[in-house]
Amino acid sequence: MKKLQIWKALLVFLLILLPAAVMAQISGPIVSVGDLEKNLTNPKVVVLDVRKVEEYKAGHIPSAVNAAYGSWAIKKGDLLNELPPIDDLAEIIGSAGINKDSMVVIIGKTDKVPDQFDMTRVAWTLKYLGVPNVAILSGGQNQWVKENKPLSQDMVKAKAKSFKPSITDKLFVNKAYVMDNLGKAKIIDTRGPAFYEGKEKLAFVPKSGRIKGAVNLPVGALYTPEGLYKDKATLTALAQKAAGSDPAKEIILYCDTGKTCTSWALILTDMLGYKNVKIYDGSTMEWLADPAAPSEP
Amino acid sequence: MYLGYVVDKELLKKDPHFKMGCVLCHKGNAEEIKKEEAHKGVVKKPSDNLRTCMICHKQITDNYAKSLHYTTAGQRTGVMPRFSKDELKTFDEKVFEKSCRSCHASCGDCHVKGAPVSGISIGLVAKHKFVKKDEGKTCAFCHGGRVYPEYVGEYGGAPDVHYQKGMLCMDCHKKEEFHGDGKAYKTKNEVKQRPACKNCHKQGNEAKLTAQIAHREHEGKVTCYGCHSGAAYRNCNDCHGGHSAANPGMMLGKNPRDKKTLTTLRLIPTVRDTFAPAGIKMENFDALPNYWDTPAHNIRKRTDRTRNCDTCHVDRKNFLTKEMLIKNGSKANESLIVVPKPINK
Repeated sequence: MKKLQIWKALLVFLLILLPAAVMAQISGPIVSVGDLEKNLTNPKVVVLDVRKVEEYKAGHIPSAVNAAYGSWAIKKGDLLNELPPIDDLAEIIGSAGINKDSMVVIIGKTDKVPDQFDMTRVAWTLKYLGVPNVAILSGGQNQWVKENKPLSQDMVKAKAKSFKPSITDKLFVNKAYVMDNLGKAKIIDTRGPAFYEGKEKLAFVPKSGRIKGAVNLPVGALYTPEGLYKDKATLTALAQKAAGSDPAKEIILYCDTGKTCTSWALILTDMLGYKNVKIYDGSTMEWLADPAAPSEP
Repeated sequence: MYLGYVVDKELLKKDPHFKMGCVLCHKGNAEEIKKEEAHKGVVKKPSDNLRTCMICHKQITDNYAKSLHYTTAGQRTGVMPRFSKDELKTFDEKVFEKSCRSCHASCGDCHVKGAPVSGISIGLVAKHKFVKKDEGKTCAFCHGGRVYPEYVGEYGGAPDVHYQKGMLCMDCHKKEEFHGDGKAYKTKNEVKQRPACKNCHKQGNEAKLTAQIAHREHEGKVTCYGCHSGAAYRNCNDCHGGHSAANPGMMLGKNPRDKKTLTTLRLIPTVRDTFAPAGIKMENFDALPNYWDTPAHNIRKRTDRTRNCDTCHVDRKNFLTKEMLIKNGSKANESLIVVPKPINK
């Protein structure tokens, strides 16, 4: 009789623990479709869809809340993809039901490579505001659909929470900071090689070139032809070649607007263990417009 | 015989519009094998003639025939005070019927395909699917120059707070606005079924005392847009003068329709030589200003004006000034200038 009770207790224990064990598999910075599906009912997980409202309403991952990318990064003066006012961001985060203990999985579209970076910029912004556990869905919404997972068209309204940001200092740095740290920090240009070499530039960037002394680590190298993240070993090799292998070294990443470079920032920090990674938000749009800012070639 | 050129095969089975065959709407001859014979008399855009849709949707099409989306009467009403009697006659013959009216939306422009804008058509929605509403595709085709990009935040600044909360066009604009209510209005300003902020946001229900005070102090003096428009919106310069340019900006001044209130103004595209190619000088051009009140679709809860009273009362940021007025503009423009007074503390 006593033996039966022990077995019963063990069974109850397993039944409680087993789903938790399945759910516990999820962690940043990259989450697979399978792992997300197993965690859709995990109360700690907030699935955050940053696609446009129309795209979200046409079909989204069940339980995903929507906060379109445009609310997370705005045009300020001449600069694109800048941080909105902190109180506005806090309200968006709270409205999505996110708090500092949440595990946020960000969903975006991946029709083209540049679409990937909506997710990573939002992830970095969340970290900046004090939400440490963030991840992005590898392949985004497209991969979810490709794997024939269920979709919902119901507008999910999260239970709003009051969110008080605690700014994680220097995840975003300004031009003066970069200027002061030239020659000290490792400056990484994450644009394509032709842009890094000054052979090409985007229309909104004032001139071609790069920050003096920067090395190149293109964002395009992160993805497989299918739009999924490459494996850790491959990414480690790529990162070490550009950033070195000292995890304590200060690294400042930039691109043209401070958006695409967040992809490598997230990988370097949360996958590869670099401890001191920053984003120069103004990037070339600001740097190359300043004749006093050292550039090359 | 289905050849899969245009219509999705699955749609043929599902949508009742296709059960009656193509010929009911598009005419032509379905019995003929040769294309030339089969296409004799084909109508490419059947809903250009409202009678096509009227067969099944009589009440809606009866209303729609009188609606502003169909008549485009607002365009005529908006500009006619600038004309003499003779000029209005010329305008009606040479401009309104041939140009403005060509822009009216047919049923199919919203429910089957996007209306061509500036001669550019993006074709059918989802392989000839009949959609009840699809704001991102249908509304945005015609209102994609300024309203839609402002609303979704693609024109600088953050998206409208209503979009941020998941609302699309038809969450505020009801179907009577699109289909009409059976009355032939001269301008949208006569239509009662229009969205108003106060329909949802009742004064006195504000969570913060500062917001309550601010709303009470500005009631009847400043429109909601005056404080809550969040970023620069598109202004149209010189469009009909052949030098099309749309510049971002935000301008605050007197509402030309109600000069007791301050609101967001937009530069509209009628300049002195707009109708010169049609031989119209606009003898009464100065009767109307070039700046008009605009419901900017970029509402934010917090703006630089709601955060700090000094933005308006000291810095006078974004207020229309004499120096900002367009060159050779209407003499009525100056009457819209407001100089905000400092607050007596």
